[in-house]
Amino acid sequence: MSADEISEKIGSYIRERFLDGDLNRELEETSPLLEWGVLNSMNTALLLMFIRDELGVAVPPKGINAGNFRDIRSITQMVIELGRPQQATVAGRD
Amino acid sequence: MDFDFTAAQQRRYDEILSATRDQLNDAPSESNGHFTRQQWKTAASLGLTGLCLPSEHGGGGLGALDTALSLEAFGRGCRDTGLVFAVCAHLLACAVPVRDFASGGVRDRLVSGMASGEVIAANAMTEDDAGSDVGRLAVTARQVDGGYVLNGEKSFASNAPAADVIVTYAVTDPRAGFLGVTAFAVRRDLPGVDVGEPMAKMGLSSCPAARVSFQDCRVPAAYRLGEEGQGGAVFQHSMTWERACLLAAYLGVMEHQLAACVDHARRRRQFGRPIGEFQAVSHRVAAMKQRLESSRLLLYRGCWLLDNDRDHLAAISLAKLAVSEAAVANSLDAVQVFGGAGYLSANDVERQLRDAVPTTIFSGTSEIQREIIAREVGL
Repeated sequence: MSADEISEKIGSYIRERFLDGDLNRELEETSPLLEWGVLNSMNTALLLMFIRDELGVAVPPKGINAGNFRDIRSITQMVIELGRPQQATVAGRD
Repeated sequence: MDFDFTAAQQRRYDEILSATRDQLNDAPSESNGHFTRQQWKTAASLGLTGLCLPSEHGGGGLGALDTALSLEAFGRGCRDTGLVFAVCAHLLACAVPVRDFASGGVRDRLVSGMASGEVIAANAMTEDDAGSDVGRLAVTARQVDGGYVLNGEKSFASNAPAADVIVTYAVTDPRAGFLGVTAFAVRRDLPGVDVGEPMAKMGLSSCPAARVSFQDCRVPAAYRLGEEGQGGAVFQHSMTWERACLLAAYLGVMEHQLAACVDHARRRRQFGRPIGEFQAVSHRVAAMKQRLESSRLLLYRGCWLLDNDRDHLAAISLAKLAVSEAAVANSLDAVQVFGGAGYLSANDVERQLRDAVPTTIFSGTSEIQREIIAREVGL
């Protein structure tokens, strides 16, 4: 799956599940999801399940940090890197 | 699918049930009703303060299901549910995150001390304006050379008046929401830590809770739990264990309560026959049994999923919701079965009702559990 496809899937999920399905709401790849409060503890848990079930990537506890979940772009990058054999780099990113 | 306990599980359950009945029910409490160090030591001597801590540090080395079964026996055998709750708060909300997120010598010392019961831990997450929503915490931790400086006040910290160490959570990056929260184990004797007077509360009276304030409290970096910004995940992890295992103690309470109701309904006679022969009473008792057994199955399954590293978020929420609401409903039914006697403070059922009420609030309210379940099914 390409980076654009992953980004699109994650963005669609966030719009549909956390933004009341408002597909027109302004949500860019770099919108600050944590600062905006879109990703709270519950939503992040659900997003982690989505990433695992739909994108086939299990995010380790160390990977759940502000650097990786800042915005759709950083989440996409994390998913791509965790999908590769060397997982330590992104898991420890801060 | 096998619903039987293993021989080892049955033996452990029976031993804890017997020992807690024999050794904890007649021990004197403090004059204010709080648990004593001696009661705590007795619980520790039975292995209860370290059930799921590593055996190399003196713990029992148990997984979630075996821990839950042990706490179920504890809750059934010990009439003082406040003491049971205090041990669970220490073990599940404090020792588990230290076990899984502390490192080096700090982890070794704290886990060993918590397992042996020498160290009592308090859980300080809640604030006046932040309960379920971790992203609203106001206590801050500013990074300085060699550690952090904590400032702010926590409320409702279970075990705090008796604690030697306080597991707490503070904001290190205010722009990062709940991922800007960091967890710490704070020694009670550090300068800048102040524990307030015990709060008066409805139930679980023997477990003291208090405000904890931090004023320019310098915490060494070695006492940080996990990475900076990982506090939300640390807290969720501890809540997972608490929802799964603490609520098991209430299965034990309900088991004990149900037996008392059956006994009372057999012995108490009105209109020339035992009240248990009246359908209004017998069906009430049947409903109690149904709630107990159905919530127990949900809880065992949630623990099994946790132990097997399977998706457990909604399963544990279902279990927490079912057990807590069963505990309240069964306690109300028990009072009704006992009638006027059930309303008297001298009887267990009156205290059981007061001890059951907070179950739908602590470890995530029933509303939060329903929210998790609803989102899990796609709403």
